[in-house]
Amino acid sequence: MSYQCIAVFGGVYNNHLALAAAIDDAQHQGAEALFCLGDLGGFGPHPDRVYPLLHQHGVQVMQGNYDISLAQGLEDCGCGYTDPRDNYFAEISYQYTFQHTSEEHKRWLATLPDFFRVQLGPYRLYMCHGSPRRVNEFLWESTTPDCLLETFCRDYAADVILCTHTGIKWHRQLSHDRHVINVGVLGRPENSGETHVWYTLLTATPRLQVTFIPVHYDYQALAQEMRHEGLPEEFVETILSGWWTTCLEILPGKERARGQW
Amino acid sequence: MPSPPHAPFRYLQALWFQLTGTLCNLECRHCFIACSPTNHRLAFLAPETVYHYLDEAVQLGVREVYFTGGEPFLHKQILPILAQALRVAPTTVLTNGTLITPSVADALAALHAESRYSFEIRVSLEDVDTARNDAVRGPGTLAKALHALQLLQERGVLPIVAVTEYLYDGNGSPGQPGTGSGFYQKFRDFLLAHGIRKPRLKVIPVFAMGKLEGTVPLASYVTPEMLHGFDVDTLQCTKARVVAAGGVYACPLLVGEAKARLSADSLHQALRPCSLYHTACHTCYVTGMTCANY
Repeated sequence: MSYQCIAVFGGVYNNHLALAAAIDDAQHQGAEALFCLGDLGGFGPHPDRVYPLLHQHGVQVMQGNYDISLAQGLEDCGCGYTDPRDNYFAEISYQYTFQHTSEEHKRWLATLPDFFRVQLGPYRLYMCHGSPRRVNEFLWESTTPDCLLETFCRDYAADVILCTHTGIKWHRQLSHDRHVINVGVLGRPENSGETHVWYTLLTATPRLQVTFIPVHYDYQALAQEMRHEGLPEEFVETILSGWWTTCLEILPGKERARGQW
Repeated sequence: MPSPPHAPFRYLQALWFQLTGTLCNLECRHCFIACSPTNHRLAFLAPETVYHYLDEAVQLGVREVYFTGGEPFLHKQILPILAQALRVAPTTVLTNGTLITPSVADALAALHAESRYSFEIRVSLEDVDTARNDAVRGPGTLAKALHALQLLQERGVLPIVAVTEYLYDGNGSPGQPGTGSGFYQKFRDFLLAHGIRKPRLKVIPVFAMGKLEGTVPLASYVTPEMLHGFDVDTLQCTKARVVAAGGVYACPLLVGEAKARLSADSLHQALRPCSLYHTACHTCYVTGMTCANY
């Protein structure tokens, strides 16, 4: 299947309100297909509200580490955190999501692929969750050198690689019109002090154009739902302020310096 | 004893340089390779050697580069070496912090600001109490290391603080956030109290080698049976190699060890399975330890 314009969503983290807004926006932008790079659960409220939206609008979804853990009933989210503070809050998210995701949805997660290959105009796209080689590898902008990305493009026969997992978007242009794009996430704002989230629109007419689209949604309603569900106030604060308060020890120095905490 | 198992090699996540060998201006009680001001067992690396291996690592798609010692800031060419590494990959330098003067901090901050890749500076502490820290690391070392952290922070760099579990007292490690207790929380509170606004911590287990050879009852080995059902990818030797005097080694803990040497002069040739023959391998097996930042 070949496309001219697609929308790619990163981690949803139970943020069904942002997902609905992103789907609506992408359809208005003329996206021919919608893709989601996994991690449907975590952080936000009401996990089961995400799935009907994905099904109703034909979003093509792959497994992230969270989805693998939920499908297999693993003990933790497999996010790849190494710091005790990060793991403490990750466990709260995961336990909540695991308990509130229906068995039917867990079974569906088990059926999902772990990568997509798509043709966009003349470009061969390879989509993955963390990195092509590991589902929970964090590809931060400051810790991902060109030499590694060139190797990925060569080894995975791709002109464009798309990933998520970190929560912060970026785009790197490589030699020979090859690109690597972290598409950001819908689940929580990207630690910039702004409350909106992001998805990525790609067009090829025929030259590749990458546009990061801000998604404004009713974040106050989401915060209210989170409080009602008894989720940690630290999570709510992130939604309301746009600054990360948890799961930020994994940030490299440059990315950490940009945040408030 | 049965033959030790081997760890497969997956990919080159991290390339380490044992830049100043075993020479250090301190002589910490627990040093895993017994560094000291008089230990010349492993020699310094010449800048040309570093650049040669950096070139090879770029061809192999390396993800990140680390410099350690000894004390890397004893190397007269440390700044140009760091600058060269940062041109091609995210780079970390491990230090005791005692040689980071205001002018060195200026130079490091300039490298940090100019590089598009992450530049991490990892400073070692042992305890938040001066007497306890300095008993392990030497007189005045806590004050000097803390001063280095503050100099870096004032210049917009967020250092990582590395702590071994040598003085871990069994109190709630690693500590739940917000409880104000526990080994991890103790350091976090200390750094916050001293103006380090975004404390970043790495806790490292103790290895029964070097200065602690034979003193810690952990002399166990990895057996082939222990790898059944074990996620071998958690071992850092599946994704890292170390350049030191004499060649390329399997991991930063085993530099200079003949059984851990995988090549005399080629990084490419060293990307092959390595033997899990040492007690340190067992410590990594049990703890999931990595010398990397994360």
